[in-house]
Amino acid sequence: MKKPLIPLAVLAVLAVLPFSGLSTYMMHILILVLMWTTIGMSWNLLGGYCGQVSFGHAAYFGVGAYTAGLLYFKLQASAWWGIPLSVAVVSVFAFVLGYIVLKLRGPFFALATLASGEVLRITTENWNGFTNGTLGILIQERTWVAKTQYYYIILAITAFTFLLVRRLVASKWGYYFVAVREDQDAAESLGIDTTKYKTIALVVSAALTGICGAFYTNYMGFIDPHIVFALHDISIITIMIVMVGGVATQWGPLVGAGIMVLLAEWIRSIPGLGASHQAFFGVLLVLIILFLPNGIVGDFRKITRLFGRARA
Amino acid sequence: MKRSASGLMAASAFLLATAFGHAAEPFNLAIPLPLTGGQAKFGEMMKRSYEMAAEEINAKGGVKGRKIVLSFEDSQAKPDSARAIVEKLIDVKKQPLIVGEYTSACAKAVAAVANERKTPYLIVASADDSITQQNYKYVFRQNVPNAYYAQGLVSFLREKVQPKTMAILYESSDFGTSGAADMEKWAGKLGCKVLVKEKYEKGAVDFKPILSKVKQAAPDVLFMVSYVMDASLLMKQIKELRLDAKLYAGGAAGFALPEFVDNAKDAAEYVMTATLWTPQVKYKGAKEYADKYKAKYGDFPSYHGASAYSALHVVHDALSRAKSMKSEDITEALKKTKLQTAYGPVAFEDKDGYQNQCFSETFVLQVQAGEHETVWPYAYANKKFIYPFPRWRDRK
Repeated sequence: MKKPLIPLAVLAVLAVLPFSGLSTYMMHILILVLMWTTIGMSWNLLGGYCGQVSFGHAAYFGVGAYTAGLLYFKLQASAWWGIPLSVAVVSVFAFVLGYIVLKLRGPFFALATLASGEVLRITTENWNGFTNGTLGILIQERTWVAKTQYYYIILAITAFTFLLVRRLVASKWGYYFVAVREDQDAAESLGIDTTKYKTIALVVSAALTGICGAFYTNYMGFIDPHIVFALHDISIITIMIVMVGGVATQWGPLVGAGIMVLLAEWIRSIPGLGASHQAFFGVLLVLIILFLPNGIVGDFRKITRLFGRARA
Repeated sequence: MKRSASGLMAASAFLLATAFGHAAEPFNLAIPLPLTGGQAKFGEMMKRSYEMAAEEINAKGGVKGRKIVLSFEDSQAKPDSARAIVEKLIDVKKQPLIVGEYTSACAKAVAAVANERKTPYLIVASADDSITQQNYKYVFRQNVPNAYYAQGLVSFLREKVQPKTMAILYESSDFGTSGAADMEKWAGKLGCKVLVKEKYEKGAVDFKPILSKVKQAAPDVLFMVSYVMDASLLMKQIKELRLDAKLYAGGAAGFALPEFVDNAKDAAEYVMTATLWTPQVKYKGAKEYADKYKAKYGDFPSYHGASAYSALHVVHDALSRAKSMKSEDITEALKKTKLQTAYGPVAFEDKDGYQNQCFSETFVLQVQAGEHETVWPYAYANKKFIYPFPRWRDRK
């Protein structure tokens, strides 16, 4: 009875945030947090609930980003059409890719997804006639100078993703996903078509990530293969967000994205820390993973106990 | 707790500032740079050079009596971080102008924000041609665009080498791609055939497959566009393969850094590179800057450092001439810049499809006895060029 109120309350807070007089700098950071939350939630569907750990979400992010970019670059259309179009393009792409990689299990699946991201990056780099290669795509004039519009667009995408993932996980499909994660052979023997449900999880997860890619193109105004197909800056960060926040939890990606973006930015701006900020941040992440293996949301009870609420 | 602590600190900082009088209120300038990651070497050199310039400017009384206080923000060569920094500088710190960044991708992100927010942005060493071709009113660039990087080298090739064939290797980035494309055009004009044009992954460890291909084609000239680690590795493997060309040349960036010679050791000998500046140029202040840098940090700086050092003088000059510290007035002052700097004469022109672009001469360096020496254009040379290069088996 209390449960559905929490998401609404969070949404309400996020919706009024732009009116609290935040600087465009804070708005930029918040937009990034929301974008990463969405990517994290979509990864969580495949990696957290369905147990298929993907190291290649940059592939879907990049295909989405390039769908929007190429619309503008080749057809002189508004890059915003990339958001609906990327759903179709990325879904088809993920379906085809899934046909290949979903036959693999465990580390082999992870490695195959990792390779798919890299293959796409190298392809985009070299397919000069179509993608403009390493020169990337520059959108000459972004739609808005102000951040508010972008903020609400990404907030809508995030809310939609949250709802969709929540619905899916609570449905019968959600139980199939978890069954596949826990024991694929057992699930199969119970009559679950594991390949089908893994494909569904992958396609939905990929399409949601693709939307974020298309949003990124519109928001940043410049993409190149190194940026949007980045192994570390996209694929690995996505996994880190979910790991830090909490795998297979509803709120994990939001918390994780908050930490990975806000905290990283905050540590980066500590004066005097200089170039060592990355080492500092790295140590912090190691500590979180060591002591909170289920992430901050997953181990929330442990945290409250640590801070003495249980003492009473 | 935390909030009240930072509030206290801010209050005490404010008190301190007022205690020392209004006139001495410092001019804070934060500079976005890559200080970690693959481009950190360039960021570090630029940081040192900015600091040297600020010291000199402050010793002479600063900007309109205000001291320049520099701080640096690490953008990690990531466009979204660079954008975050610049949004903060413009919006929170109310900084009226932006200087800095290094990679072209980051400069593009910063330029778009600066122009939208009507804040002047002075680019110091980002090469991609398109940045100053966007009709941006508020974006100024001090270094020549990529299409001009190899001009000096090309004039050397035309007058002294007259190559018949060439091979081009370049890293997969916009700097590499556009540098290679420009060189291909030049080669066409020189009547020189491009036998091999290959792109490689930056940060690769094994270049032997593509180098073997080059060896088979046996070109007169091998031209390479790379950052620093790749540059030295390429030359080392060229030496191992005994790949003999009449001339190896680099397209600035990695080849022009002192680290290139340090890392590649004797494999770097005789290698030529295009560059935008050399410690031996006869611009006023160039030698002083280069010597001071060397005394402090042990090596001569490359054009990146000189450009950063001079950029701060350009900023100082523009701020001193500007009617106020408002962005509009600073932009106007920048547009009228006519300054002799250690980097050469700086003026921003609209020419050949570029806007607010500074055009200057480019040079050729050659590594001789483990040092970068200026060998071209003739008027600036401090050593005579050595050509053709001795074959590997004839070297000691």
